[in-house]
Amino acid sequence: MSSLRRYLPEHDLMYFGPSPAVYHCHHFNLFLDQTIDDALGFEAGSRLRFLAGREFASPLLSGAAELNGLTTPAEKLELASKLFAGMGHGRLQISADAKGGDVKGSYLHYGYSWSQKYGQIVKRKQPADAFGAGFAAAASEVALGLAPESMGAHETECVAMKAPGCTFQLKPGDRGLRLPPVGEGEVQKQITPSFNGLYEEVIQPITKGLRDFTAPVAGDERGLVQAFGVFVTLHLAGYYNRISYEAVQQVEKKAPQSVGVLEDLLRESGHVCVFNTFGGILLSPEWEGMVGALTGEPLPIITGCMAIARALGFGRWTIAEFDPGKKLVVRAPCSYESVFYRSRYGKAPRPNEYFLQGACLAIAQLAHRVDWKAKPMLTQDYYNALFRGGPLPWKVEQVKSTACGHPISEVVVTRVEGARA
Amino acid sequence: MAQGTVKDAVNDVPSLRAVFVTAMPDCLLYDSWVRPEESWQAEDAASYFGDLVRANREGLRALKSWSAEMQVTIESADVLMIVRELRGDFVVTLAFQRDVPLGMVRLHAKRVMERLDQLLPTLEAQQRPRAVKITEFLEKYAPDPHAALHRVALRTGIPLGTLRKPESLETTQVALLEASVCDILGLESLSL
Repeated sequence: MSSLRRYLPEHDLMYFGPSPAVYHCHHFNLFLDQTIDDALGFEAGSRLRFLAGREFASPLLSGAAELNGLTTPAEKLELASKLFAGMGHGRLQISADAKGGDVKGSYLHYGYSWSQKYGQIVKRKQPADAFGAGFAAAASEVALGLAPESMGAHETECVAMKAPGCTFQLKPGDRGLRLPPVGEGEVQKQITPSFNGLYEEVIQPITKGLRDFTAPVAGDERGLVQAFGVFVTLHLAGYYNRISYEAVQQVEKKAPQSVGVLEDLLRESGHVCVFNTFGGILLSPEWEGMVGALTGEPLPIITGCMAIARALGFGRWTIAEFDPGKKLVVRAPCSYESVFYRSRYGKAPRPNEYFLQGACLAIAQLAHRVDWKAKPMLTQDYYNALFRGGPLPWKVEQVKSTACGHPISEVVVTRVEGARA
Repeated sequence: MAQGTVKDAVNDVPSLRAVFVTAMPDCLLYDSWVRPEESWQAEDAASYFGDLVRANREGLRALKSWSAEMQVTIESADVLMIVRELRGDFVVTLAFQRDVPLGMVRLHAKRVMERLDQLLPTLEAQQRPRAVKITEFLEKYAPDPHAALHRVALRTGIPLGTLRKPESLETTQVALLEASVCDILGLESLSL
């Protein structure tokens, strides 16, 4: 696992094998998938999620099989299952030939974490593991030497629907469009010169420490990574990007009045991620051991969050300006979102690094509104207490984006005058 | 309240931690008293007790055992509660310290209910727009309540600003709202 993980150190982007990759938690994963389904409806949403999973799993799996010199279908399917579990997505048992096949899943990240987070309060009527379906389809294509984008997969049972396990049926068909790849070569073409920001002497050593800490992390016997109070996945950045940007494009065509709401929710997924994952890391004993106890001051939270973002592969987020209680300006030479957008779609009409926007808003709020010394539990109730009940006391605007052709990406978070504490 | 307050009705009841009076059928907080040392927010709790009694009533009706004289007793780890419907206008919830004997709680509850029956007015049946009730229900029970209205806006195409004024929604929009709320909550229908 760790031998496949590489960083682009000047830009703090990450690859897993040949594929751009990032770490994300189940809160982000579930919220983003849910947003895609809200935007497109379950049928179209889950199909897009399946297509994206299949598309971006394919180069990972073929590259890994080649790297390991594997030749037989059985070896390649076994490797696919190991990678899936190692990335924290659960266990897949794939049985397939050119006519199709069956897949059994246990502890699949999406379905299992959904049942853990929401299962007691919402009855789910549709399966949750479209990414797993896409991964299994790609695995069978690679293992059997089939054309990419040729195997379909359908989840017939899901733990999120209170089934005892997850099952899928593989069937040839369900061809997607062959889209231009977005791999390491394409990312390299999009990156612009890197730069540093303020407090690098603090941020860079923490980033390195976090990378060293996460290097050996892999799925447990369930194929899950459970740490810092969340389920963590090593995930394919192309999956997140394709589903986000294609959903925006489809809503722009069909319901343009809803684009703003969709963008709000895409930002919210970043907000949820920072609250849960960044917050969980900051409150962990591992953080205290590596960085020291939290002082309650905003600056160490801001610098800590920049380091966490870099270590998770989000990009070189730098502090351009920080005026405590008033303003935070974050700049980056690129992000995992912008390099994808430029490569696949060309120049964006407006700044659209939604995750970066939501994350920076959350970082400013966590820095100023959380009593870190009290070590609060990062529960849904606490989240609601902070972020419900009227307009937020901070607002975010992305003023520059490399996706638009600007030389840098820049996000400005400012305190709202007269807002609640 | 016209004469006296809930506080007046319970000031001689020992071991009582709080009283919540929920106006029905909308499950809105009508009045409350919470012992000063408690950190409870009456607004956070009152509506759920209204929903509880309504669900209990429907369950008993399904068993053909419904009676107006029913009350719900909740024995949790640290609180003992009596929830009772009063005249169809109100649901009254009394929260006692956990170590009070149940018989004593029932005795106190009976007295308090009699006092409140005299004290509380008869409510004019208020016909609030269904869309308002649906929106309140969603925000109360949605898994990610901070994002719930955004999700409805995205699912239905109804602008967020319009959804924030549910009383002004058109009939077709109300139907869209209700369908999307059912989907979000995984329910076949809403019991409002």
